[in-house]
Amino acid sequence: MGRIEANPTVSRLLMGLALLIVLGAVYYAARSVLAAVPLGPQQTVTTINPKMGVHTRLTDEAEEWKIKRSLEMVREMGAPWIVEYFPWAYYEPEPGRFGWNHPDTVIAHATRQGLTVVARLGFAPEWARPAGTIPLYLDEEHYVDFGRFAAAFAARYRGQVDYIILWNEPNLSQEWGYRPVDPESYTQLLRVVYPMVKEANPDVQVLAGALAPTLAPAGSEWGMNDLIYLQRMYDAGAAAYFDVLAIHAYGWSFDADDAPDPEVVNFRRAELLRDVMVRNGDGDKQAIITESGWNDHPRWTRAVSPGRRIANTIRAYEIAADWPWLDAIAMWAFRYPWDAKNYQDDYTFVGVDFEPKPIYWEVQAYARGAGDSP
Amino acid sequence: MGLRRRMQAAGWRQRLLLVTGLAVIVGMVAFWLTSRFLFGGVDETWQRIQETGVWRVGMDPSFPPFDLLDGEGRPTGYDVDLAQAIADRWGVRVQIVAIGFDGLTDALLAGKIDSVISALPYNPRLTQDLSYSRSYFEAGIRLATAEGSPIRAVDDLTGKRLAVEWGSNGDAEARRLQRADPTIRRLTFPSPQDAAAAVTAGEADGVLVDGVTLRQMQGKGAALVAVGPALESNPYVIALPVDAYTVRGEIDAILAEFVTTGFLAELENRWFSESTQP
Repeated sequence: MGRIEANPTVSRLLMGLALLIVLGAVYYAARSVLAAVPLGPQQTVTTINPKMGVHTRLTDEAEEWKIKRSLEMVREMGAPWIVEYFPWAYYEPEPGRFGWNHPDTVIAHATRQGLTVVARLGFAPEWARPAGTIPLYLDEEHYVDFGRFAAAFAARYRGQVDYIILWNEPNLSQEWGYRPVDPESYTQLLRVVYPMVKEANPDVQVLAGALAPTLAPAGSEWGMNDLIYLQRMYDAGAAAYFDVLAIHAYGWSFDADDAPDPEVVNFRRAELLRDVMVRNGDGDKQAIITESGWNDHPRWTRAVSPGRRIANTIRAYEIAADWPWLDAIAMWAFRYPWDAKNYQDDYTFVGVDFEPKPIYWEVQAYARGAGDSP
Repeated sequence: MGLRRRMQAAGWRQRLLLVTGLAVIVGMVAFWLTSRFLFGGVDETWQRIQETGVWRVGMDPSFPPFDLLDGEGRPTGYDVDLAQAIADRWGVRVQIVAIGFDGLTDALLAGKIDSVISALPYNPRLTQDLSYSRSYFEAGIRLATAEGSPIRAVDDLTGKRLAVEWGSNGDAEARRLQRADPTIRRLTFPSPQDAAAAVTAGEADGVLVDGVTLRQMQGKGAALVAVGPALESNPYVIALPVDAYTVRGEIDAILAEFVTTGFLAELENRWFSESTQP
């Protein structure tokens, strides 16, 4: 057998290539180490009201230090609960191929800050819906795909995330993929997904509903009255397929103490949804208000003055503390990754630059048992 | 010529052809880009306005004194007068299209209107899709004092009492100033009017309030003087289609002239006077 002579040029090329690979690996490792944001020590939230929460908006927040700073500020404000959106399409771009980097980061920082995470799941990937539809469209054929994702999420974050919301505001046509809303089909979604999630993680509490408060008249193309929608969910057998009702309770231009009225969208409309639960024999279940709040935009017709926004927000936290059937209340929204430059900006507690708005300081003062109203 | 030399010559010919081809493509692209800017191209918005003699302006008539409806339901206000004055310079008719504030940008993008004039704040995030004129009104947070006050700038607020509407953007600014200078005393009031009244009554040394509210209070006779530039800028601008460069150039020139001639100041006096305020 003859010897194979090494070609010196090829050898040099191979050595150079090997050196490049090693240098690349060192650079990548060093960059990862330098870019990593330390979780820091385990924290706890100090507050007089353990039901206080906010809806964060970290979904599109790419920079880890901003995720950490947001969650630190939530803790420092005195809110032990957050609701956060985890879009299915972001994390399962192909069937069965999951990318958990972003939710890993958010949940690790949230739990390290001592926050309880309520995870909202939805937003269908392209492969799970017909061409030409939007990510809020999910047909019954793909409920099981959504169930697989929700179950994978529940299993992965077992011990870190104990609350999962299935879909959002299905009583609005827009949130139902611009189709006529369908409480029976949403109930079918619960019927398919709930057992998959519970099998993956029996400890997790599954939230359903998250209905938009609306007075949409019968037959409206835009949506269905939330009270009617919830009753139709019960009629379709939804009670067996969720553990906690998710409620959206916005104040619009009304005060937090204004009495509930089926013809009015106000904060205490939450009590009417609770009544529907009780009427359907579901009174032993708890509820969580996963979106709430007031807006102080100077031009939005449903806004209030900045002072009324603060007063009503704090009053809503107080009212929530007195409702034994409610576990938590999350105000929309803590901070956006960027300014919307419309009325939505006037829901936030903190600016894009992390500058606290007065409402942040006032809520923090309330959580510490103090106050600063004029 | 040997085989090797012939192959080399063929290679050079191929390379020359490739380089020449690339140079031609790059040149064509460069010519297209430069001609677009140097020679103007076609501003379809400007062309349409000139051809039809109509300038379609989107407006949400629910923000007095800039945009409101008169007793007969017709749009009126500062922005209507501004639009009319610009249209007069062009010799065209203004058609005000009433649209909800949050739908104005979409209407412009969809080509339903030619411009938005509606106390619209500049939005840097939309500059890929829209273009904006220069500012015609500063609505940002201002420091105002009583006439004759020695306060000339925020640096003079040390040890002073600063009135704000509780929870407002002015309150946010006051808290920021207070963090830098804890001797500033922040006094909170239920409304900006109450905060301003505290200044005129001598109970506070200054007030932080947005530019629109300040002008409204001045128009109603409050003896307040704005001090220094806006602490947080919020300029009102005219929004246009992103490729409406001729319209934007025309509007910018006219607005600059309106500053020089005092027409914008006249509009402020007209629409922030006591008689025109609700």
